[in-house]
Amino acid sequence: MIRKPLLAACVAGLLALTAACGSGDGGGKESGETALTYLVFETPSLDAKFWDDSITAASAQTPGVKINKIVAPSTDRDGYAKQLQQSGQFPDLLQSITPSNFVGAGLLKPYDKTWIDANFLLPSANSLKGEVYIPPTNSQIVPQVYYNKQLFQQAGIEKAPTTWAEFLDACAKLKAKNINPIELGGADPFAASMPLVGIVSADILGKNKNWLQDRYADKVKFADADMVTAVNKYRTLVTSGYFDKGALGVKYADSITRFTTGKSAMYPMGSWFLGSVPKDTADNFGSFPWPTDNGDVVVPFVGGGSMAISAKAKDTALAEKFGQAWSLNPANLKALIETDGAFPMIKGKTLKDYNVTVTKVFEDSYAYVGQDNNKVSAIGWATNDDALPAGLNDAFYAAAQALFTKDDVAGELKKLDEAWKTAAQ
Amino acid sequence: MEDRRAVRKRNSGERGLALLAALALGLYVVFLVLPLLLSLRSSFTNENPLKAQNDFIGFANYTEMAGDDQLKASLTFTLILAFGVTIAANALGVGFALLLNRTSLSYRVMRTVAFLPQVLSGVIVAFVWQTILTQNGLLNTALVKIGLLDEPYPWLGSPHAALFSIGLVVTWVMSGFTTVVYLAALQSIPLELHDMASLDGVRGTQRFRKITWPMLAPGTTISVTISLITVLKLYDIITVLTGGGPANSTQSTALYIVKLAFTSDRVGYASAVAMLLLGLSALVALTVTGVLRRREVSL
Repeated sequence: MIRKPLLAACVAGLLALTAACGSGDGGGKESGETALTYLVFETPSLDAKFWDDSITAASAQTPGVKINKIVAPSTDRDGYAKQLQQSGQFPDLLQSITPSNFVGAGLLKPYDKTWIDANFLLPSANSLKGEVYIPPTNSQIVPQVYYNKQLFQQAGIEKAPTTWAEFLDACAKLKAKNINPIELGGADPFAASMPLVGIVSADILGKNKNWLQDRYADKVKFADADMVTAVNKYRTLVTSGYFDKGALGVKYADSITRFTTGKSAMYPMGSWFLGSVPKDTADNFGSFPWPTDNGDVVVPFVGGGSMAISAKAKDTALAEKFGQAWSLNPANLKALIETDGAFPMIKGKTLKDYNVTVTKVFEDSYAYVGQDNNKVSAIGWATNDDALPAGLNDAFYAAAQALFTKDDVAGELKKLDEAWKTAAQ
Repeated sequence: MEDRRAVRKRNSGERGLALLAALALGLYVVFLVLPLLLSLRSSFTNENPLKAQNDFIGFANYTEMAGDDQLKASLTFTLILAFGVTIAANALGVGFALLLNRTSLSYRVMRTVAFLPQVLSGVIVAFVWQTILTQNGLLNTALVKIGLLDEPYPWLGSPHAALFSIGLVVTWVMSGFTTVVYLAALQSIPLELHDMASLDGVRGTQRFRKITWPMLAPGTTISVTISLITVLKLYDIITVLTGGGPANSTQSTALYIVKLAFTSDRVGYASAVAMLLLGLSALVALTVTGVLRRREVSL
């Protein structure tokens, strides 16, 4: 007799418990304000204070909004956004995600094109099928090669290399002087892939800007001869001993310290490294684009820097207003320029307008953005139409790590084609 | 009167037990059985929440597994790690338990220290070991300084060394658990047996072989089975230490499942691999338990 009510009570309790677990979306109306959730990620440069200050400033320009910050547990905000989506907690605003991962399911709302065109130097730098889901407030070059002028001098290298032959010559001279030529933070997959990103962007996309679109159309393959030849250059660097033998055990953060303290002469890395150049020795560092066979300048380029809006946000118009306010806030740009090496892309503004203190190497690197040169999508980093299919970045990183120890270039590239086929299904 | 009171008391006790059992059963159903069934259902679909697809595809995911080289590599790595760690952690557990099977305060303190790795979160343990094992870590610094190495060794940066390093860390963690299990088993051995052995002149390794080791059999069953299952589903320590690298060489099957679901968005296929891991864990656990139980029975 009594067992049934007891069992019912237990079930009711459990249902209440599960309901309570599922209701914490952190959104809704709060004292006349609309609460929106905003997914951010923290790095040593973009710390909690940066996000809090930027949220406060943008909120002040967006009456009626209350932002509930969600911090991704790692810098993989795409992965975390997917987890939140699957648990029914997709954020209303998402900082620096890869829109192509989410647009297919109708999860993102594009920004107003008129506003984009009116405010940004390269309005379509980050566009996806003609729509812009993340305002191109700033840009990055991924990678540039940073070098230590003093170590170059010690090795008798007079100028930064522009051709592949000069680059190999510089590496040989450095090695002969017992200086580690190239720094690699190979323990972090994204950092391990930097030389490969440079080679593929320069040698393949530099010659065919539409290579990634052609790959989507199945007109080209990773296993094609030109790609194999290009990737073999990476093997040349490895087998010649131009990286530290234990580079796959070096964490990204340690690789920065090793390079800035003179343990290696060159460092291929995204331009966010400029935020880590020590101020007191900044003049000792220079940069050059990844060298090509004939010395042509190819700039692997990425536009973005702001947030995407969930199509299912509680108030998409208000979310867009907040995104716009955040994107144009000069204080955010100042912090991004100084700490994250971001190249600002807002119309009608120069570096001076942001009241920033930047190094000579920053100015030299930034110059490539303004110059009329061959800008291509940085493979694996672009978040526009040239973004890789979901999961391909991981495969690309794994190939970069595998080719550090294995000679099978054709085999690794074939694996990428297979991964592409699966991802594109 | 007294009979009625006794009946009421017994009924009340039964009601309490029923309540506790219902709660436990409810939690088990909601948090284990239901997700398991949902996962099983998903394993027969091409579910991809970011392509808004969720169609029934029969056994396609299961047949795809046969040709999945990454899955084979992850299973091989996971099985090597599971059996390697289980053997090492249990050997260490027996050794530590024999050393710490004393009653003085200092030994009790040392028991707590031995159990400490098991209490710490896997993420914290992995972060601590990462500072030791990275290229510029404490281990390399010390070995280079005392002249045992000419240059830092990539403990986490080469596939074989990374497998060894992860094995070392997980063994360290698991040995806390195995030590406690074997200590409990040691303390359950009747003292009379040891006394009789002493009278018969049985000492040292012979006593361990003839009395202690056979009497540890129930503890061995528990310790080996739980060690195996724990390592078969290992995720946190590997994620922090190597992230599955270099080049996916230390990617456990659990890590592969998470990557499939949340990086490649292939939830259906990830569910099928999860089912495979569940089946494999069950098979290994049942086989090992069966074999070790027979040893208990034969005592």
